[in-house]
Amino acid sequence: MTTSIEVSHLTKRYDTVTALADVSLSVQPGEIMGFLGPNGAGKTTTLRILTGMLAPTEGSVRIDGLDVTERPLDVRRRIGYLPEHVALYPELRVREYLDYRVAIKDVPRPEQRARVDEALQQCALADVSRKLIGRLSKGYRQRVALADCLLAHPKILILDEPTVGLDPHQIRQTRELITQLGRTTTILLSTHILPEVEMICHRVTIINKGRIVAVDTPAQLRQRLQGSAVLRVQLRGEVAAIESALNALPGVTRVTRAGAADGFHAFDVQSSPGSDIREVVFRAAVERQWMLRELSQAQASLEDVFIQLTTHEEP
Amino acid sequence: MSHLIALTARELKSFWYSPIAYVVGALFLLLQGVVFHLLLLALSDPRSDPSATMARAFFGGTFYYWFACLITTPLITMRTFSEEKRTGTIETLLTAPVTDAQVVLSKFLGAWINYGALWLSTLPFFLIFRMLTPLDWGPVFTGWLGTWLLGGMLIALGILASSITRNQVIAAVLSFVTILLLFSIGILEGFIRDPETAKIVEYLSLIEHTADFAKGLLDTRPVVYYLSVTAISLFFTGRVIANPRWRS
Repeated sequence: MTTSIEVSHLTKRYDTVTALADVSLSVQPGEIMGFLGPNGAGKTTTLRILTGMLAPTEGSVRIDGLDVTERPLDVRRRIGYLPEHVALYPELRVREYLDYRVAIKDVPRPEQRARVDEALQQCALADVSRKLIGRLSKGYRQRVALADCLLAHPKILILDEPTVGLDPHQIRQTRELITQLGRTTTILLSTHILPEVEMICHRVTIINKGRIVAVDTPAQLRQRLQGSAVLRVQLRGEVAAIESALNALPGVTRVTRAGAADGFHAFDVQSSPGSDIREVVFRAAVERQWMLRELSQAQASLEDVFIQLTTHEEP
Repeated sequence: MSHLIALTARELKSFWYSPIAYVVGALFLLLQGVVFHLLLLALSDPRSDPSATMARAFFGGTFYYWFACLITTPLITMRTFSEEKRTGTIETLLTAPVTDAQVVLSKFLGAWINYGALWLSTLPFFLIFRMLTPLDWGPVFTGWLGTWLLGGMLIALGILASSITRNQVIAAVLSFVTILLLFSIGILEGFIRDPETAKIVEYLSLIEHTADFAKGLLDTRPVVYYLSVTAISLFFTGRVIANPRWRS
């Protein structure tokens, strides 16, 4: 089966700024992939390249096996794209707008009416179909744009922050709709809201500062850190020796260097769930006569995973 | 083809749903009505030049004609691309399975039809005129045709201007200045002594061509001139839209 979205080694540079650096990403058919990252991480840039709105500096994108720059029209026929900033023609009525959109999306003429009805139904817009788009609230406009995405029954949906600016009730409806659509459609969902990812997505790609920092299922991402303690340790001594000693301690699963300041080296020490390694770390420091300046523990949540993956403290 | 029709229909709707259409339309009709009335008075004066006709006076014979052409076209075209860029609808438009050529052509056709509709609104003037006095429809028809072809060129230039900015005021000023430059070449004609240069200027002069059309002369040279500038402008608009740097 052809991979639905295949992004390989994508780089986007503007004069001096590198917006994306060697981004690779693949979404399998039927999958709902979360695309997570803080604002300005490069999510929208990536999605714009996927839809052919922007050209990559390097790298390639294949949608349903087709190269975006070589077969732009065939690619656009296969995707429904909800842009970050929903923009519609305010002077048109909802129905009028969707009638226009369905006509430019290669839907056979006899089917067009039914498609518009279906999209209006799916997005709960039937009762505002005769209203002017300019008079609608932000939530309704968002749904009109989503309805537009569904008109051509695309194989792939690319949604850029679909729930931003909605009220809690609308957010819930939108998520339910996305989950429901996900049963038949491949979805790439960009967001910076973590619970959304946990609720909807099968897998998550985390991007930060134009680089992919993690790809995993939400459950595994959570499991990887939930319950397990991350211990911040600052010690003075030979850095490699400390690192290997910490790694050798019982219960320790992962040691990462977290910078150095005035002779002290900082480490983030992860341990298996349920174990408290503070005492062992203290003993190890005493035995080897390392000065200990910090020994602090925080309970990790998915939010911490995200923060940890997307924040780089300067050494 | 169905794409082009749907896109053009959207252009026409958006124009006629906006207040600009009615302000431009009303002022246009008012201006043309006043001009027609004044010309009628002038032509019915027994001392007037016997060779003068209504068609020649109305199409290009007065400053008002040029005012109507040069002012209305930037107003019709200023929104075409810049408004889509400003609001962001250009992104939804260009990610739909339509070609750049279809997008550009639909903008052009929409604006050209609107412009044609404005000028067609002067038809009743001539119908009333015809009821009172004999009228040679030939020059009236070619006068309209010339005006419409000229408008196509001005509209294509205006759409090109609109495609490079997201500000519709800048788009309007830019196309107005370009159109004015093209128009003013005709005014310079009398100052040029070199016969070769004079020929070129004469060819480019909008005033001369329009006067010919209003005499009932259907010359292919201005038709080729107008159509080629139209085609070139639309081609460049397509290039602008295809360029990722300029498209949004």
